[in-house]
Amino acid sequence: MPLTTCLIVDDSRIIRKVARRIVEAMGYEVDEAADGAEALTYCTGAMPDVLLIDWNMPVMDGLSFLRRLRALPDGRRPKVLFCTIETHPDRIAEALAAGADDYVMKPFDGEILQSKLEEVGAIAA
Amino acid sequence: MTPDDFDKLQTLMASRAGYRLTRDRMQLAEHRLGPVARREGYANVEALLANLWTQPVASLGWAVIEALLNPETWFRRDRTPFRVFEKELLPALASARPEGRVRVWSAGCSTGQEAWSIAMAGLGVGARIEVSATDLSQRAIEKARGGLYTGFEIQRGLDARTMLRWFEPVEEQWRPRPELAQVVQFTRGNLLDEPADDGRFDVIFCRNVLRDMDPSRRTRLLDGLEQRLVDDGCLFLGADETLEGETVAFRPVSGRRGLYVKAPSSLRRAA
Repeated sequence: MPLTTCLIVDDSRIIRKVARRIVEAMGYEVDEAADGAEALTYCTGAMPDVLLIDWNMPVMDGLSFLRRLRALPDGRRPKVLFCTIETHPDRIAEALAAGADDYVMKPFDGEILQSKLEEVGAIAA
Repeated sequence: MTPDDFDKLQTLMASRAGYRLTRDRMQLAEHRLGPVARREGYANVEALLANLWTQPVASLGWAVIEALLNPETWFRRDRTPFRVFEKELLPALASARPEGRVRVWSAGCSTGQEAWSIAMAGLGVGARIEVSATDLSQRAIEKARGGLYTGFEIQRGLDARTMLRWFEPVEEQWRPRPELAQVVQFTRGNLLDEPADDGRFDVIFCRNVLRDMDPSRRTRLLDGLEQRLVDDGCLFLGADETLEGETVAFRPVSGRRGLYVKAPSSLRRAA
């Protein structure tokens, strides 16, 4: 299987570390960004195959970043999982409407992430 | 727990639940029985078991049995069978049955995720689906009936759109919306018992039950499933479960792993 790339966008170093360990074990090559602006710069350079995006971050939040990402050339291609502590249905619906392929409520574990990535077709079931 | 205790537990599990408690589960059994001992007011697992062996199997015995069953389940486990059910079986069944009424049995439903997955598929295609879900464990059935799932549980196998469509948040947990809740009926039931009524089902899901079953009880279980399945019905087993030479009641559907239909020899009732 060709190596696929995953960008983890979260202002928490600990969350990035935990998520990195999980997706690396699935065979992804992982990079990290600490906020939406950093992630946007990254994506204009090299578009990852999968993104895990947190909601509340300094500089540029996840939702603003997601909308900008989807407007980029090739920006509709990556699979996006929104991963946040927000659990209100309206907020979940908002993120999905903004272009997230699926939504992960924190806290999550490897099994959930794996099942969500399978569901959106980012990895073979 | 002594080796003698474990031998007795094996016998208890096989005779009452048809469950094969393999020797490698001794430590797991010890671990699972700790909370039961505390809940029932015993100093430790040894004291609980010492008492258990002196009395007939009643509520304490069943509390022990329940704790040792394998409760693991999640939404749309293994996906493929649910896809086959939704895309292939449901449309055919809903158009063939009077008023589109489709009756499904989730046999060995544990905490209910399978039953909800079946119900969501049915309602999603507009069938009049009725799901009957049974499990040996009273605690599992109570949790299923309560319908409250943690963030971990609700996300395991369920995508967010589906979750939002069929579940609503209650404080930190999620429960089925009324339109989903009303099509599923949870009842405690032992798959080794004779059917209590003559209700029959169009589709039976009995997944990941057989593999933990004592070989001597598998035939009885399969006979029970065969009796409850309509002649043109379908049976789903778990992904790694096969029926090879142990029953003439069912035959596998080629190209559909885990899917079985009645063998011609078991259609005698129709004649």
